Amino acid sequence: MRLQYRLIIFIILLIWCAGIFLEWFLNFEDHLLLGLPFLQKTYSLVCHQEKAKLLFFDHGETLTCARCTGIYLGLLFTSIIVLFSIPKKELHIKFLFIAAAPMISDVILYSLNIYHYSKMIALTTGFLLGSVGFLYLYAGLNNLIRELKS
Amino acid sequence: MKKYLSSLICGFGAGVLQIVPLLRSFSCCFILPFAAFISLLLNQRATKSKAKITTKDALLFGIVTGLYAALFGSFLEIFITFITKQNDIISTFPELQQMINNFPVSPEIKNEVLNLFQRVREDILANGFSVLYTFSVLVNNFIVNTIFGAVGGLIGAQIINSRMNNTKNEF
Repeated sequence: MRLQYRLIIFIILLIWCAGIFLEWFLNFEDHLLLGLPFLQKTYSLVCHQEKAKLLFFDHGETLTCARCTGIYLGLLFTSIIVLFSIPKKELHIKFLFIAAAPMISDVILYSLNIYHYSKMIALTTGFLLGSVGFLYLYAGLNNLIRELKS
Repeated sequence: MKKYLSSLICGFGAGVLQIVPLLRSFSCCFILPFAAFISLLLNQRATKSKAKITTKDALLFGIVTGLYAALFGSFLEIFITFITKQNDIISTFPELQQMINNFPVSPEIKNEVLNLFQRVREDILANGFSVLYTFSVLVNNFIVNTIFGAVGGLIGAQIINSRMNNTKNEF
């Protein structure tokens, strides 16, 4: 995939992730508060936004839960790596399931009350899935470009 | 139309799930990508196809599933708000007021945002309908659901194709 396409994907993910931390950016630009009602609605479509599961900082909280934040940050993280180094090895789909296993296990274990919900675990397991998941999204887009060209 | 019947079914399911609070908290951000994946799977079962799904088809199925989810999700949300004159904005308004007051921004901006919310809240309480709220629901649903549906289609095709003949992804 050409650098321009990879850059576009990175910028889209960067904007999406920046939106999650909108309340933190209020420290630098007051007018961003005007976008808060709209963005809350946007992220509510892709996250339950349960108060207890949001990440807190100085004067606010993330607009998605710890797990979703982890997933999106993971996607962004790998998109940065892919900007500089294109993955060349073939990746079997089983790695996606392996990456998802810790997150699924965490959901099952805390739902069964085996341990209490931990934002750190949710963030980390989400990050793992997001960072591996990006490679499959990238492969899909690559296949699409190839199909459209042929 | 018939080609995208599975997208219609899955899009409807996703649209409904997106507005049910308890189910929403369980499936979180996977509702749409999963719906797109299921629609691909259902389509393959219905057509009894043994061929690999092309990425172009997968993308189209994902987008159409997202569009149907947006259509049903928006309609249900607007309709339920109209009937009950209640929604997230009404129920969380006191918390929101408190939250906005805690932000380190100028009082003018705080008032502007609170007035905006207040106007939407009053419209919904009085008529069950707010133009701004409806616009926000429609724009958000159609953009976000379409993108997440497309992502689900792209990744879903790889899962289905790998199950069919154990192929590997190529970069």
